[in-house]
Amino acid sequence: MDIKEIMQPENLVYKKPELLNDTAMHYCPGCSHGVVHKLISEVIAEMGMENKTVGVSPVGCAVFAYKYIDIDWEEAAHGRAPALASAVKRLWPDRLVFTYQGDGDLACIGTAETIHALNRGENITIVFVNNAIYGMTGGQMAPTTLMGMKTATCPYGRDAKLHGYPLKVADIAASLEGTCYVTRQSVHTVGAINKAKRALRKAFEYSMQGKGSSLVEMVSTCNSGWKLSPEKANKWMEENMFPFYNLGDIKDTGANNQ
Amino acid sequence: MAEREITLMKGNEAIAHAAIRCGCDGYFGYPITPQSEVLETLAEQKPWETTGMVVLQAESETSSINMVYGGAATGKKVMTSSSSPGISLMQEGISYLAGAELPCLVVNVSRGGPGLGTIQPSQADYFQSCKGGGHGDYRLIVLAPSSVQEMADFVYLAFELAFKYRNPAMILTDGVIGQMMEKVELPPFKARRTEKEIIEQCPWAANGRPAGRKPNIITSLELDPAVMEEINIRLQKKYAQIQENEVRVEEFMLEDAEYAIVAFGSAARIAKKAIEMAREEGIKVGLLRPITLWPFPIKEVEALSKKVKGILSLEINAGQMVEDIRLAVNGRIPVSHYGRLGGIIPAPDEAVVELKKLIK
Repeated sequence: MDIKEIMQPENLVYKKPELLNDTAMHYCPGCSHGVVHKLISEVIAEMGMENKTVGVSPVGCAVFAYKYIDIDWEEAAHGRAPALASAVKRLWPDRLVFTYQGDGDLACIGTAETIHALNRGENITIVFVNNAIYGMTGGQMAPTTLMGMKTATCPYGRDAKLHGYPLKVADIAASLEGTCYVTRQSVHTVGAINKAKRALRKAFEYSMQGKGSSLVEMVSTCNSGWKLSPEKANKWMEENMFPFYNLGDIKDTGANNQ
Repeated sequence: MAEREITLMKGNEAIAHAAIRCGCDGYFGYPITPQSEVLETLAEQKPWETTGMVVLQAESETSSINMVYGGAATGKKVMTSSSSPGISLMQEGISYLAGAELPCLVVNVSRGGPGLGTIQPSQADYFQSCKGGGHGDYRLIVLAPSSVQEMADFVYLAFELAFKYRNPAMILTDGVIGQMMEKVELPPFKARRTEKEIIEQCPWAANGRPAGRKPNIITSLELDPAVMEEINIRLQKKYAQIQENEVRVEEFMLEDAEYAIVAFGSAARIAKKAIEMAREEGIKVGLLRPITLWPFPIKEVEALSKKVKGILSLEINAGQMVEDIRLAVNGRIPVSHYGRLGGIIPAPDEAVVELKKLIK
């Protein structure tokens, strides 16, 4: 059997989600963003929300998220995505509204917008890709950079005396009255991807059910910024990121909050 | 209900009532003196129970303006208000709104600066409003009310112009007009547009992509400089069109005038009194009041400079609009400036003294 015979519709077992278009992604090979984009596209389509979704993209590596997923998008200023999303959801309550933000955007310059949107209980989902580094600007220290981790602006390693400590945004989010669902996921294995997808689906469902704010943190790799091969970056993440950023649900009050 | 609703209220309250009545969909703001009555009046009126208008107190002015960006990007009629330091914080968002060509209304009930300055009135935000403020080559449509009536009317006008040109509009007023109580006839009620109407009227808006339509993407980002230059050229063409079509002025006692005062907003009220006083002394003087600060009435000031012997720019600042007047006059006649600073309001007799200096 040659390849043409195999590539028939009846043999199709997996395909790219329809919302994910054919634009070549600018992400580095091995980067987590592509997988997270795919999961968002799948979940929106599975919920039948293709025509009623507004995404808010950040400033950072995912600034061009709007080029890849065929929904309506607003591109926010650095850190301001949760403010945009708050207004969109209040003005269009039947829309699915989510932000897509990295650690610099969300946990540093946009801390106020993030905490207050979550604390108001806005019926939005914040998708937070945490790779512990500023990727787009070339690998500088992020608020989530681990202790001792080397970046372009802490070349001798993050030192508490010089740089303070990494911020656990999800733990802060979980302490806020306005959040109904806070979880930390990753997309480095098939199993993790499946779990992350279920978490996204739950968050989006809660947003549509008006249960409050959700934060889905994706603990991610930045193999270019970390200067590691994709495979080694995954291993490094397991060994260094997961012990500090523990995976799993931190808060889920959606099920009993009617 | 009476056919004409005439009431006594503060300028800030008039802004709030006009917002509800003009079919505004959302207000996002943060308390700051001397404009807090806008948010307070909206909260007290509870328009979410009547017209369905959203009112939200944000965590900062930065957030307010970005909520405005978020809402405007969906085609909704949204606004914010603040005072000078808060408007400074909003400049990033205002630049993004202009870059993404989003219609909205920003009200600046300005106060004296720089820095935290004072809570007393000032017109020192003319440069910030008309010459940029944020980064990049952009323009705001800037309206300057000089009465409580105009505070209400200009909410309607600002939204009309903002949507006509897909550009942010600003009402630049100050603590005098914001805090002053005056008779006002509230403009007629306009229903909020339905979601269907918004989708039809704003085909560019990002509010959920119906089957068959390409995604709408609201952004001011373009990394290809050739394309970015094209975008800038298109913006400049739009600004030229606004300059051509939307200049508004009020003329007062200019028919026989030998001298003129140019003044806007609250300073124009002081100028009118000064003109009365000067005329009692036989000085033939009139007023040209720019209603649109941007677009600035270049042609009108130019024509005025061919008619009168001198112009006094009366401003509650150290001399900002006077620069635009001098550009339009182009050296033809003497142009002087008089202003008070730091929250002090010039008195009419001070203006008469300055006028006499100009005549000498």
